[in-house]
Amino acid sequence: MISGMIRFCILLLLWLAPSLVLSHGGVVEEEDLCVIKVNYLRGHFKIYQPLIDGHKEYCEDLPNATESVFVMEYLHDSLGEAAVDFRIIRDVTGKGRFARWEDVAGIDDLEAATVLYREPTVDPDVLTVIHDFKEEGAFIGIVTANVDGDQKIYRAVFPFEVGYTGLGYWPFFIALLLAIQLQYFFMSGRLKRRRESRAAAAFVALLLLCAPISDALADEWVSSRGVYTVRFESSLEPIEINRIHNWILHITSNGEPVSGASLAVSGGMPAHDHGMPTRPRVTAELGNGEYRLEGMRFHMGGDWEVSVEIKASGKTDTVVVTLEL
Amino acid sequence: MTIATLMAVSNIWPPVADKWSDVDIAVLRSLWIGSLGELPPDPTNAVADDPRAAKLGHALFFSTSLGPSDAIACATCHRPELRFTDGMQKGQGIGQSKRNTRSIVGVAYSPWQYWDGRRDSQWAQALSPIEDPAEHGGNRQYAVSAVVANEEFRQQYEAIFGLLPETGDTRGRDTAFANIGKAIAAYERLIMPGPSRFDRYVEAVLSGVEDQSLYSADEIAGLRLYIGKAACTQCHNGPLLTNHEFHNTGVLSFPGEVPDNGRAAGVRQVLADPFNCRGEFSDASEQACAELEFARSGYEVLGAFRTPSLRNLEHTQPYMHKGQMFTLAEVLAHYNEAPLSMIGHNEAKPLGLSALELMQLEAFLMTLAAPMATDEKWLRPPVGSLGSL
Repeated sequence: MISGMIRFCILLLLWLAPSLVLSHGGVVEEEDLCVIKVNYLRGHFKIYQPLIDGHKEYCEDLPNATESVFVMEYLHDSLGEAAVDFRIIRDVTGKGRFARWEDVAGIDDLEAATVLYREPTVDPDVLTVIHDFKEEGAFIGIVTANVDGDQKIYRAVFPFEVGYTGLGYWPFFIALLLAIQLQYFFMSGRLKRRRESRAAAAFVALLLLCAPISDALADEWVSSRGVYTVRFESSLEPIEINRIHNWILHITSNGEPVSGASLAVSGGMPAHDHGMPTRPRVTAELGNGEYRLEGMRFHMGGDWEVSVEIKASGKTDTVVVTLEL
Repeated sequence: MTIATLMAVSNIWPPVADKWSDVDIAVLRSLWIGSLGELPPDPTNAVADDPRAAKLGHALFFSTSLGPSDAIACATCHRPELRFTDGMQKGQGIGQSKRNTRSIVGVAYSPWQYWDGRRDSQWAQALSPIEDPAEHGGNRQYAVSAVVANEEFRQQYEAIFGLLPETGDTRGRDTAFANIGKAIAAYERLIMPGPSRFDRYVEAVLSGVEDQSLYSADEIAGLRLYIGKAACTQCHNGPLLTNHEFHNTGVLSFPGEVPDNGRAAGVRQVLADPFNCRGEFSDASEQACAELEFARSGYEVLGAFRTPSLRNLEHTQPYMHKGQMFTLAEVLAHYNEAPLSMIGHNEAKPLGLSALELMQLEAFLMTLAAPMATDEKWLRPPVGSLGSL
């Protein structure tokens, strides 16, 4: 009976623990990604020990007391606009894995416990901090973001160990991660979304199968829903790599020139999952369905796709122009 | 044994590589130095092709008088005998530069300067070290005063650009500073690579006589890898073996430093540079600034650096943006593995090359060694110049 109660309590704790820990921000592993949550703002979080382990990524615990590089890549743009400070303290809270902001705030002399403090700084691209750990032990990292002109302060608190070798809390943590995963499955409707994405993938596959049909005419491309037809002339003929040039786009719908369209252009090489080296833009409408597209440049030989999203008289459709250079 | 038999045997051993296909030949032609078209004009620099400016630029390039230390010249880090690099991980002026010194050979063909493209012309680039506290450690006022104080410089300058500014004329001073850069750029436009053994091999292939004595079997195999399985031409394409573009290839950070943001930061700097193509000191019309106008920014270029030329690798080590790698073998092993990047996204994919293939690739890369195409007199300090190295 008593053991049954204990089991129930542990299960309850496991169930509640994720929301307790995460509601205030911390570091968790999601699928293969280590994610830091600064309140609702999320970043891809990773730690390196390049002198010893090269490119090996760590999420929390670090095997060696050595030079360590903390990297936070933003999954939410606001983080790139916020002044973010970064602090690492020795764990003087006695709470270990379960240390939260309330515990850190209760430390009498935070400065004395601090081993690294980086002043609030706006890093528009990525947050990177380096610290050379001189000793092994338990530490707590605190990331503080001042959002909306310092109106709001968001934090992530992540306890971690340096030079950690024993089992310690690991069994508990595996159970915790399992609970997070289960909770995520049940609460966020992920199973349903998966089915949807499978349907979407099938749809994309179908589109890809149909694509060659719309490319039947070598120098004319039809938009995915058949609304627009696009031809182009390049100021550089034949198109060479590494040379910036312009295109004139000719856009028709049912054989009639399309005027007053707003066009968004992007491009890339699907085989190498990278985009164009430039950010081309339509700079003028020339009349008779013609538009000047400037800033075109391709920097590799191979198969390119240039996607043109066309919006005119309330109809939006996208044309993918394929090129082999 | 007759001569005919001997020739027959020599055609079998070393084993003859398969003939090049038409597609291969087109690629080889595109990499050949003969495909390097005429030097593109620099519309931002009205004196880019003025021989008087090149002469003054030559003297300024080797002069230590532009900075207050009187010890640092452009040529301190851009040493002609090392193809205008310095053989060090990072440049060493008054202090240590943030990155590896890039070669200036053939750079007139690039729309961008520096590893991160933070300057968009050779003259804007030439100004930057003069005001960098770790390099010349001076400022524009000092540099312009140095030209005023040197009779030879002053005469040459005024013959090209007109009178030097009066003291206190800050606009005139900035214009004169820009002109110093433009003269140096006119000189740098003369620094060009010469034909290598690779180029002679391509000429033989193009003329239909594939002269086996020009290349060993390993070098041919390496070239085949270069344009094929090793995918080098994705970035190292064109006759300078660079696309002048920015790529994240997952090179490890320098010890003691956070990873370098590269182009993501460089693009902001070039857009804000008062000496850029659109700035008031540029001689270009707004329309000529397409590269600046349409430059890509953001996460896609985070940790990305400008592809260097592969001509003259024998003189330009250590490699990579902070000189992280000392040997070509290290570089090739890195691309073979293509690890995840510390920041941003490594565009390279693992290659799966064998140790033999890596060796062949390296053997091919060494055939790109060649003497400079530039007249010897430009590779030395000008005769009788003051304050030269």
